[in-house]
Amino acid sequence: MFKTCRYLVLAALLAGIINLAAEAQQTAPQAGLRENPSRVHALENARIYVRPDLVIDKGIVVIRDGLIVEAGTAVEIPPDAQRWDYSGQTIYPGLIEMFTQAGLTEEEAARTSGSSHWNPAVRPDRSAADAYRVREAEIERLRSSGFAAAMVVADLGVFAGSSAVVNLGSGSPNENVLKRDVFQHLRMKRNRDRTYPASMMGVVALMRQTILDAQWYRDAHAAYAANPRQDRPEDNDALAALDRVAARGQAVLMSVDDDHAFLRAARLADEFGLRFLVRGSGHEYRMLDAVREAGAPVILPLDFPRSDNFSVSTPEDALDVTLESLRHWELAPGNPGMLHRAGIPIALSSTRLDKGAEFHERVREAIEHGLAYEAALAALTTTPASMLGLGSRLGTLDPGKLANMTITDGPLFAENVNVQDVWVAGNRHVITPRPVTDPRGAWVVVLQGDSLSLSIEGAPGAPKGTLDKDGNSMNAVRMALEDARIAFSVEDEALGEDGVWRFSGSIQGDRITGRGIRPGGESVVWSAERTAPREAETKDIPAPAEVAEPPALYPPGAFGRESAPAQPEHLVVRNATVWTLDERGKLEHADVIIREGKIVEVGTGLVAPAGAEEIDGTGKHVTPGIIDAHSHTAILEGINEGTQAVTAEVGIGDVIDSYDIAMYRELAGGLTAANVLHGSANPIGGKNQIIKLRWGAGPEELKFTQAKSGIKFALGENVKRSNWRILSDRYPQSRMGVEQIIRDRFRAASEYQQAWDRYEALADKSDVVPPRRDLELETLQEVLTGERLVHCHSYRQDEILMLLRVADDFGFTIGTFQHVLEGYKVAPELAAHGAGASAFSDWWAFKVEAYDAIPHNGALMHDAGVLVTFNSDSNELARRLNTEAAKAVKYGGVDEVEALKFVTLNAAVQLAVDPWVGSLEPGKDADFVIWNGHPLSTYTKCEQTWIDGRKYFDIDEDRQMRIEVEKERTRLIQKLLRSPEVDDGSPETEDRAPEA
Amino acid sequence: MVSLLRTSMGTDRSAKTATGTWRKRTAVPLLFLLLISGLAFGPLVHETAASKQKPAGPQEQPIALVGGTVHTVSDGVIEGATVLFESGVITGIGTDLALPENTRVIDVTGKHVYPGLIAAPTTIGLTEIGSVWATQDHIETGNVTPSVRAVTAVNPDSEYFPVARANGVLTALTVPSGGLISGLSGLVAMDGWTTEEMTLVATVGLHVRWPSYRVRDIPGLGGPEEQIKARKAALARLRDAFREARAYMIAKEAESGGGPFHPSDLGWESMIPVLKKELPVFIHASEEKQIHAALDWALAEDLSVVLVGGADAWRVADRLTQNGIPVIVGAVHYLPARRWEAYDAPFTNALKLHEAGLDFCIGQGSGASNVRNLPFHAATAAAYGLPKEEALKSVTLYPARILGVEDRLGSLETGKDATLIVTSGDPLEIMTQVERAFIQGRPVDITSKHTDLYDKYRTRLEQVK
Repeated sequence: MFKTCRYLVLAALLAGIINLAAEAQQTAPQAGLRENPSRVHALENARIYVRPDLVIDKGIVVIRDGLIVEAGTAVEIPPDAQRWDYSGQTIYPGLIEMFTQAGLTEEEAARTSGSSHWNPAVRPDRSAADAYRVREAEIERLRSSGFAAAMVVADLGVFAGSSAVVNLGSGSPNENVLKRDVFQHLRMKRNRDRTYPASMMGVVALMRQTILDAQWYRDAHAAYAANPRQDRPEDNDALAALDRVAARGQAVLMSVDDDHAFLRAARLADEFGLRFLVRGSGHEYRMLDAVREAGAPVILPLDFPRSDNFSVSTPEDALDVTLESLRHWELAPGNPGMLHRAGIPIALSSTRLDKGAEFHERVREAIEHGLAYEAALAALTTTPASMLGLGSRLGTLDPGKLANMTITDGPLFAENVNVQDVWVAGNRHVITPRPVTDPRGAWVVVLQGDSLSLSIEGAPGAPKGTLDKDGNSMNAVRMALEDARIAFSVEDEALGEDGVWRFSGSIQGDRITGRGIRPGGESVVWSAERTAPREAETKDIPAPAEVAEPPALYPPGAFGRESAPAQPEHLVVRNATVWTLDERGKLEHADVIIREGKIVEVGTGLVAPAGAEEIDGTGKHVTPGIIDAHSHTAILEGINEGTQAVTAEVGIGDVIDSYDIAMYRELAGGLTAANVLHGSANPIGGKNQIIKLRWGAGPEELKFTQAKSGIKFALGENVKRSNWRILSDRYPQSRMGVEQIIRDRFRAASEYQQAWDRYEALADKSDVVPPRRDLELETLQEVLTGERLVHCHSYRQDEILMLLRVADDFGFTIGTFQHVLEGYKVAPELAAHGAGASAFSDWWAFKVEAYDAIPHNGALMHDAGVLVTFNSDSNELARRLNTEAAKAVKYGGVDEVEALKFVTLNAAVQLAVDPWVGSLEPGKDADFVIWNGHPLSTYTKCEQTWIDGRKYFDIDEDRQMRIEVEKERTRLIQKLLRSPEVDDGSPETEDRAPEA
Repeated sequence: MVSLLRTSMGTDRSAKTATGTWRKRTAVPLLFLLLISGLAFGPLVHETAASKQKPAGPQEQPIALVGGTVHTVSDGVIEGATVLFESGVITGIGTDLALPENTRVIDVTGKHVYPGLIAAPTTIGLTEIGSVWATQDHIETGNVTPSVRAVTAVNPDSEYFPVARANGVLTALTVPSGGLISGLSGLVAMDGWTTEEMTLVATVGLHVRWPSYRVRDIPGLGGPEEQIKARKAALARLRDAFREARAYMIAKEAESGGGPFHPSDLGWESMIPVLKKELPVFIHASEEKQIHAALDWALAEDLSVVLVGGADAWRVADRLTQNGIPVIVGAVHYLPARRWEAYDAPFTNALKLHEAGLDFCIGQGSGASNVRNLPFHAATAAAYGLPKEEALKSVTLYPARILGVEDRLGSLETGKDATLIVTSGDPLEIMTQVERAFIQGRPVDITSKHTDLYDKYRTRLEQVK
């Protein structure tokens, strides 16, 4: 007795465990009799991973009251311990699932609070800890994959709420919730039900505004508490809950489903100084540097593309499979390893995988593709534990940790290894039931005086036997085992009687005694002795194989680049027809000298610096790079945030798609820059983004950083939803209402600024509720101050005049009217106001408001003194804007040099980037095109396109790239076809839904 | 059994009911397409009036275009030549023609004379304002509407005709565009007081739109399985239709040979010339898989075929050549369908067909408002390698050949229609001006709504200045 007590104290001291009560504490009243099963266990004879990097070949784990007391080789087994023989098995720290919705019901998730946010997608007040229910089926599924604890997190809306960590035990949430409000979950997901945010740019804007609102909410309520004699700020549970993120440093979990979403999440976190981690997409290997730089740990789903999802077995179907998807198929399993080697903390998750077994297969695949075994273990134990701030309770089998263990019959993740038991807080959960007896091994059977050998193999619960008599091998069929009773039949002449012999018997240790029925019905007695146990197969720990990694491409598919094109220090184009588009217009036999991406000199007979790279321009034409004043190229997930009439808070800059192949195709038509615009669904749409087509660069590097900010407005049929009437009763429904809503918003913006001015002028702000920052009105305020240009979609002359007068009244100048199809009818007014006009050259008649469009529009406006451009509004037309310019010559007789300015210099001026681009003048960026003929001729093609003195398109290099693309496709399709389980599933598609 | 099937199909095809399963399946995407194109709920008022331009009367006096560069297309270029035409037909081309006494001589020195350009396919005359359903006459309800004829619904006063001919496009194939078996196309001259005056060939071919094999992620189309099911149903529908049409033809033949009376069916009736190979089937198909499937079907049916669209036609060039199938390259100005394809794949399609030696011509897409840009499609093909002469032929002689009017149109030859243009240069160059146009010898007004508005607002500019 004394000895036991002493031992207990010793063990408790060793583990630092405090144990005052005799039994576990509970607050609920006791129903019926108490149950007090043994809570002290010793797990013996197992191989033990104390930590991913500390293995004991054969040792003991002692646990008491749900905690680890000790794990090691020379561990004294407490006398009160229940002893478990885990011979041949391996004990790991219990695995931690980092992203699951198990236990969260949809009803709970959908429940709204009293003072809720106006947008149902914003539910930061939702707490997974509140919603969690111990739903056995869901939890069992996770445990069967070896998980003992999990982070549960709601997965809907934009602000999905706070996550919680739970033990995957039975009983009630009370016993299992380990930590609440761990991370606030933000999802880069747009609504698909035509409610805000229906576009990705709306998602980002909503995130931004909501975080600002949370900061304001805190300040406003503090001020109100200090002085209640003022307008009371609203009560809002969502904003109150976000205080944890906005002011108290709660980290944010960002769910992202593609490469760009990751970058976007990182930027947003940086903007607001948020600590964050990411539930990744599996594409992170494509942008390791950016991921490392973001400094966020990444939770990795393992839903690698399966070869049977690719239709490549017929050549015709294979045409529709993208190179990008083929490369991803090859590289995705290497993603975890590549991230780990790059020093990025990772956790592996079973999210998106259906079956428990599949998770182990995928982890094995990741290991075989380069993830070290230890790293894989760490990514499921120690790393998640520390991500969750639970390093002292989870992740290893060190003394004092929760007794969470995952036990397998071989190395975890190895083929044919199964999870046997999962222990959660000292409670054992059987995953793979073991038979009471294991009949496997070699036996000698004595039957009617004869000696036969019997070999039993197979799974312990489903044995398979073979009998041998004097060299005659016979199958023991219908072998069945139930507890200690075994039965089988044999039909073989060698037994001496034709027919089926049936045997049954009891196994006691290494002896079977039983009875048989001969084919004729007579009873016989038989017995067997086990001469050798089944040879334990040793299963190898999965290990990385040699993986050849093809060079990374950006973008990661066809025509991607390994690096940016070189920028020669000195470059000279010799003896070309150079369309300078300055006062000289066009020079014959001229040279262009470029240094480090800038134009140095343009003229005839120039002396180039020694060592300059030379291009022979004989017979060629050189023009400034073409600029598209109206483009929707390179926009991700929604061109319109069409759910509201006014969405000035959203911006294209948040959703630039640096993978859009349209950019490369446009480069091949001489395009170097584009005004990427929001669509025309709203009177006041979103902010634009001017980009240079630096194909191969990331979304931020595409931005034309010096460009003046702008915003898209729209008038007419689209904004009054004329052709979509069934879908909308949104204000405005008439051109009258369009004017009113624009005026109202400008008045609001102006009054917003006044409110801030009054606030800022206060001597003591401490107890005054501050104005709320409003990103929509701030954007419009920038229009009023002239910092931001309005680019307004318009058709009819009345609406054009209307907006001119609104702008006149508010004292700003419209940047451009876009399309401006009836601009020719009010050309003098446009010129007088100073607005630019950016038109389709010759589209007409597709709507009532386009029925008076004429191709002479550009020429008439030009003659009236309006600055005119022709734009594409189309990824296709953007490839040949040079010949669109020719239409200004054809329809209305514009001079050729002036016409070319319609797609170059004039666009630069309209977008306020003319100090850098638009003409070939010293000091400007070396953005130019080399054509094989007159740039306005339909017979001419673009041969080279340069941006910043780098050659982004070369017609010869393109030929080479096509060959590379074909080769790479062929290689990967071959590899796919030779991989197991390819069948002709549903074909992949690269079509995207069109958006107006 | 046969008669049961017959009845159900007949109902399915008729405009009166919408109960066929195929119709139900397509209702959603069709509605969606209508919505996005704004057709369904646009204003129902016919917003358009008659075009101002007056058609010319028949040629009563011989006309000689003298001194120009004559691009015959079929027989080279003749400098300083004369083109003489009488009663709508070319009666002489040469440098030393004797002109009849009362010839109206037009000096075109320094100018160029070309045959009028031919656009195929279009919906010209069948549509006016894209978003106004009331002005759309190219889509009939039902998926199998073989008997509808485009020329019956052509609006001679459409503003589209003057706009197109201003760029030298004087003849167009106008085509129904609904469903699976869309109907019968017709060839129209772009000038005339009435539809009948404009019609050159009332029935050119039967148009079949082969379903796509590509699974698309477009709202309203349903998931991959639904789409595959819809495609299979459509193909079954197509096969059934031709089988039924054949059965009808046999029944009618039997009837005329004294057999039992068979009630008439306009749909199957209209397909008899197709089955007899008197009329070609124009199969609209672009993907390689579509083209192969369409060929398999058409060869088995023993039909006379023209392939329309054909973005992947170059991939199938061998087979098309072997079977003598001509291709209408639907357009040149479009984007590659697949991300990994060469940027200029659409620009070089015609070149590859030319190199394969098959009959082809070039179109401008399937629309109607910018038929005027037809020559520029051909020019882009030339920019990317098609010989310039071939590019010119691809919008003149070649469409004439494929549409079966080579004896009347497509080149400047004695005996052919005097449907021609006088230009300041190469009509495939945008900057070239078309200065005169003649259709069957009649001088055509080359002003349009566009030049009218241009003149009108030029006046405002002068007034305000």
